[in-house]
Amino acid sequence: MTIDQLQAAAANNLWAAITPEIALGVLALLLLGLEMILPKARHSVIPACSIAGQLGVLFALALNFTTTPYLDRDTFNGLLHHSRDGQYLRAFFLVCSLLVSVLGVVALAKQKMPRIEFFHIVLVVTAAMMLLAQSANFVLLFVALETITVGFYILVSYTRSNPLSLEAGLKYLVLGALSSAILLFGIVLLYGVAGNPNSLGSTASPMSYAGVRQFLAANPDNFLASIGIVFVLSGIAFKIGAVPFQIWIPDVYQGAPTPVTAFLAVASKAAGFAVLIGLLPVFQPYAGLVAVTLSIMAGATILFGNLAALTQHNVKRLLGLSGVSHAGYLLMGVVAAQTVPQAIGAIYFYLFAYLLASFAVFAVMTHVAGVNDADQDLDHYADFGKKRPYLAGVLAIGLGSLAGIPPLAGFMGKLMVFIAAFKAGLYPLLAIAIVGVVLSIYYYFGWIKAAFFTTWRPPLAPGETEPAEAAATPVGFPAGLALGVLAAGSVIFGFFQGPIAAWLLAR
Amino acid sequence: MSDLLFHLFALLTVASALGVVFNKNAVASALCFLLSLVGVAGLFVLLDAFLLAVLLVLVYAGAVVALFLFIIMLLDMQGGDRKRFTKTTILSATVAGGLLLTGLVTFASHGLVETADPAAVKVVGSSLRAYAEQLFTVYLLPVQIVGFLLLIAMLGVIVLSKKFEGLEDVK
Repeated sequence: MTIDQLQAAAANNLWAAITPEIALGVLALLLLGLEMILPKARHSVIPACSIAGQLGVLFALALNFTTTPYLDRDTFNGLLHHSRDGQYLRAFFLVCSLLVSVLGVVALAKQKMPRIEFFHIVLVVTAAMMLLAQSANFVLLFVALETITVGFYILVSYTRSNPLSLEAGLKYLVLGALSSAILLFGIVLLYGVAGNPNSLGSTASPMSYAGVRQFLAANPDNFLASIGIVFVLSGIAFKIGAVPFQIWIPDVYQGAPTPVTAFLAVASKAAGFAVLIGLLPVFQPYAGLVAVTLSIMAGATILFGNLAALTQHNVKRLLGLSGVSHAGYLLMGVVAAQTVPQAIGAIYFYLFAYLLASFAVFAVMTHVAGVNDADQDLDHYADFGKKRPYLAGVLAIGLGSLAGIPPLAGFMGKLMVFIAAFKAGLYPLLAIAIVGVVLSIYYYFGWIKAAFFTTWRPPLAPGETEPAEAAATPVGFPAGLALGVLAAGSVIFGFFQGPIAAWLLAR
Repeated sequence: MSDLLFHLFALLTVASALGVVFNKNAVASALCFLLSLVGVAGLFVLLDAFLLAVLLVLVYAGAVVALFLFIIMLLDMQGGDRKRFTKTTILSATVAGGLLLTGLVTFASHGLVETADPAAVKVVGSSLRAYAEQLFTVYLLPVQIVGFLLLIAMLGVIVLSKKFEGLEDVK
């Protein structure tokens, strides 16, 4: 390369285009600096700094939401592509990390463990997710994905005094490494065939989405490329927890601290779907292969998730497995998005409704959990409606929205995805999905029943005393506000989807 | 000559990889892994990818295997008794082996890439200079992200290994 080319390449690194991500990175470093400077007694202000900083970034992002000069442009020599969806996902991940930080303050107060690193890692992982959602190159995709995964290895095993948390961390590490290897193998196969100068339609940039797409369009039935595509899809399926890559979900969800479980369930899943949707146009010449692979996965995922959740008694495992079924509905939306562009908007609205409902439920769980975070049973919710009416109300709204009960936001999300699938003509998948929704009502309402209607207790055996009530965690100001906003959002977006849905569906 | 060397290195790689799996002694396994890496490095040299070969030897042979050996000796591992194969293991191993074989056969019959005359293909980016030029212009953003990745990895090691004593919530 000549010096001019190099200068041009360096000049295309427009750092201003990723100001929100850089701001999060700087904020993360600032937290570590504050930990060093401040005396130990003042360390409790650091999480507040993190939350305030994220609010600031979110506010700045909202101000420039549609006016950013980089919209619909490639920056960083084609590593990033800034789009409307990218802006939406940036805001989505920021809201997730804000909520995780708020819940983190509540959950970490019950444990003896370092605090600041948690908020630091959450910020770095969020910045990586925001970049991942805008990536247009396999190198950046892999680097961002690894940053997210490594962050989650640490976050999952964060309560290291709890053996279940360590076990979850180890399982996530081993299976996450395996899935990264599969994904990388797929990328390398695509790179190899697309970059081979002797193959037809070879490209000079076999790592970029555009280059791979150009090659695939010129070779619509290349064997190695097909294997590469299936491997890439499998690697992503692990991240979103789709069957047959869902084995890790229950154990990891149970062992991880509750805020991390929420982060995994919502943000990590959304990141996987963002990548999948970003890759759809790339793999478009192989649409048949992608449709078959994803359809089988979607059907199996919906059935497995719902059937396995029916028997769960631990609420974290229950939410994990129900999350598997939600991934199935969303996968159906991805299949539909191949022919019906509105399906992408429907998926994003579904994810938004899922965020509101999931975080509401996880926030309630964070307040109910005792010192042992992995031990959260349905039994702990006995008399919940009488003892803690505010939390119980939020729980009921969240669970209802997850189950897809009208008039809550979750219902509208499901409806939009199902309509898109209907337009795309995916009738067998739709039938499976409707069976799945009916099944899901059983276990979601089982939880509501445990919280509101269970008054009978087994009589005490002679000599046994009433089990001691765990000290209830009071609902503090930021967490209480977040709970209220989440529940209100679930209700309001059920009645009135307003400009958000219109904006998402317009494409 | 090049063919002969390829077969030699390929044999070394595969044979020592099998040695990693079948050795009872963990130290011998780690040393076999080292040999296998040397074989791969040789293959890279044959492909004119000198930088990759050097990096592989430096990073893996120099650092990673040394770390493995440290840990093995620290834990003072004894080669334990082998577990007997259960029926499930045998069944799943047969299925997995069958799948692998099918994969290899299809790969050999369908996966042919038009063989290129290696001399005709201009190799770009195999020198350290070309590599560095790309890394610090086009791929500067991923390099920065990797910096953060290493930072959180280091923090993670501290969080997971250090005993935490200081109570921060002395309000």
